[in-house]
Amino acid sequence: MPHIISRTPRMPQSRCPAGMPADGNICPSVIRVIVKTPGHQNNFTVAGDTSVRQFKEKLSARFKCQMDQLVLVFMGRLLKDHDILSHRGITDGHTIHVVIKSKHGSRSLAHSFRNLLTKNPCHQDRSTKGNNSRMCQSAGMGQTKVESSLLTESEAPTQNPEVDSPEHIAQMLENLCVQRMLSNMDCMRQLISEHPDIQELIQQNPEVSHILDNSEILCQTLELARHLAIIQEIMQLNQPAQNFEHPPNPQPYLGLETIPNGNNVLGQSYDFNDQMLNGMQDFLEGNSFTALLAGQVLEQVQTPPLSVPPSEEQWDQAPNAQVIYANSCGLSSITPTNATLNNTNHASRENPVTVTIEGESHVCAVEQPAGVPVLSSTAVTQELQEDKGTTPPLGSSHQWLEEDLQQPDEQTSQITGGMIQLLRNYPHVAAQMLLLMNMPQQNEQWRQQSPTSLQSSQLSDLLLALANPKTSQAILQIEHGLQLLATEAPILLPCIEPYLWSLGWFPLSNSNYTDTVPWALNEPDMAEPQWPECCPKSGTVLQRVQPPSGDPSHCPQAPEVHFSKQMEHLQAMGFVNYNANLQALIATDGDTNAAIHRLKRSQGS
Amino acid sequence: MEPPNLYPVKLYVYDLSKGLARRLSPIMLGKQLEGIWHTSIVVHKDEFFFGSGGISSCPPGGTLLGPPDTVVDVGSTEVTEEIFLEYLSSLGESLFRGEAYNLFEHNCNTFSNEVAQFLTGRKIPSYITDLPSEVLSTPFDRCSAE
Repeated sequence: MPHIISRTPRMPQSRCPAGMPADGNICPSVIRVIVKTPGHQNNFTVAGDTSVRQFKEKLSARFKCQMDQLVLVFMGRLLKDHDILSHRGITDGHTIHVVIKSKHGSRSLAHSFRNLLTKNPCHQDRSTKGNNSRMCQSAGMGQTKVESSLLTESEAPTQNPEVDSPEHIAQMLENLCVQRMLSNMDCMRQLISEHPDIQELIQQNPEVSHILDNSEILCQTLELARHLAIIQEIMQLNQPAQNFEHPPNPQPYLGLETIPNGNNVLGQSYDFNDQMLNGMQDFLEGNSFTALLAGQVLEQVQTPPLSVPPSEEQWDQAPNAQVIYANSCGLSSITPTNATLNNTNHASRENPVTVTIEGESHVCAVEQPAGVPVLSSTAVTQELQEDKGTTPPLGSSHQWLEEDLQQPDEQTSQITGGMIQLLRNYPHVAAQMLLLMNMPQQNEQWRQQSPTSLQSSQLSDLLLALANPKTSQAILQIEHGLQLLATEAPILLPCIEPYLWSLGWFPLSNSNYTDTVPWALNEPDMAEPQWPECCPKSGTVLQRVQPPSGDPSHCPQAPEVHFSKQMEHLQAMGFVNYNANLQALIATDGDTNAAIHRLKRSQGS
Repeated sequence: MEPPNLYPVKLYVYDLSKGLARRLSPIMLGKQLEGIWHTSIVVHKDEFFFGSGGISSCPPGGTLLGPPDTVVDVGSTEVTEEIFLEYLSSLGESLFRGEAYNLFEHNCNTFSNEVAQFLTGRKIPSYITDLPSEVLSTPFDRCSAE
């Protein structure tokens, strides 16, 4: 009896079991391959006789890239388009690695990656250093890809192998991940405070830590850093240096002119002989009383001897000068940013210990120009907002000019504009002027003594003080500056003349000056009536002192310059007596802490 | 068609304890460990490793550790330097960021293993990858892990 034995139907061709022998060629098997991209893993089910090209088509649809960006690797072998998967031995369960090349040419990417890879002899796999990475871990920066965007620029819209180009930084800042990180306050705070450069900075300038701890300041800073467009706009606004009487918004200016140079400001020494730009910035940062010339002169003349101002107020007055400086320095390029970035890079490369974390320090280095400098500016911004009224600083100066000179508004603004123009064109002049302005602040005995009441005892004290060669050097610098001012912008002399008068000091045209032109202070007529009475005494004093002092430019390591950084510290802490500070520093050979003790002892006694 | 270039892939193995682990581990951990292994992959005349600073590279044997204690031949690869660097870039932003470093779970050996598989399809010797679990299973190092 025939019966049909029902045989189990042959398995459909699309479902051959795994491990089918090689006759899978005939029976096309569907295999499940694991496709591994860096960081991800996907399962793909394909027919065994799929060609690599077909597989690439699938992958390009899946990964949203072009086919020619795909590189397939199996067992260390590159898969060519014409290969068949099964011919290469790819069967079920095997893993194919996929690399998605960047669009703009992998050569530049490789080059940039090489630049970013640390070429260093030091390996700290288990190191407990690497503040940044630890910090990053603790801050929970798992989602951010800042470092990755440094290590690879495949995510950047444009390929730019140069790490420190402005465009690259712009790309960086616009990167969403960077933005996200910048908005994470705790993370940023830690990032900033634990960076070794910042810590070094804090060691040099203790007051900076006060700024860095203020979360509001940080917030605003980061806000500013996040919006690169604002910065750029401000920079463009700063370009035409004409009408600055009424800065539309003091706040961005502050951010502006310290952003590019902020790192220099915070980190560098306050050496006057350095680039004048830096010098001016340092004035800004370290000296609580640098300010708009006219306005501050008014305050200094009219207010009683100043009490020790807290650091907030220092910042408070700084914006005035900052506004001016923004205009005068013309710090509108971000090449200083790049310079600082380069510096940081080089510094980090040279340090063998921390070089392993150069990847991280690259992160921080790049962020520094944005974050750190803006910190200083925003600190000022913050204080300005908190303490200052809405009156723009120039308004007060206008008021003063009007009162004293009784000139119409147009002329006032012209004068201010001319002054600003002067400052802009001759930053060294402005620096000298600021030094000049600082004098009465730091040397109260000068201020308290009006020239008419100069008595013999006071005079002898004065002479003793002047016997200090450093004092004479300081005075020489002032005179030098005034002479320069006279030659370059006599128009400003009436503005500073009342200030000089209050100082009780009358600069002379002295043949001892070898590098200056004859003094022309007598040009402004209104200056004369007030000077003659103080002229004889102080002139005598100066004449006596000047011959032995010589040209300050021959002493490159003048203690004032040498200790200028410490001087700034002391002033920032509230020791307003410039002379006493200097002497204390000389006595302690530049030891700020010891000098502070000396000063306190002398004040207490 | 010309045969593709094959680049040798080596695994450099360093004993971070410089022999101390072999001597002290029985006392300290209660079991014998031959070493605290740190590894790196050497290919295309460069040594690549993963640390707290992310993926780094240096000339072979150029780390502070000096020459490796052992060199393991992993195989050879057709992957060119260009593709490899791209691959490393992608890794560096995804799986092997600096902050992803974990001494036990996700360390240099994890990286070496990953890269070795990419380059050759083979894994690195298991005594290296098993080290964390070995150490973690001792009461001593569990404390230090915390």
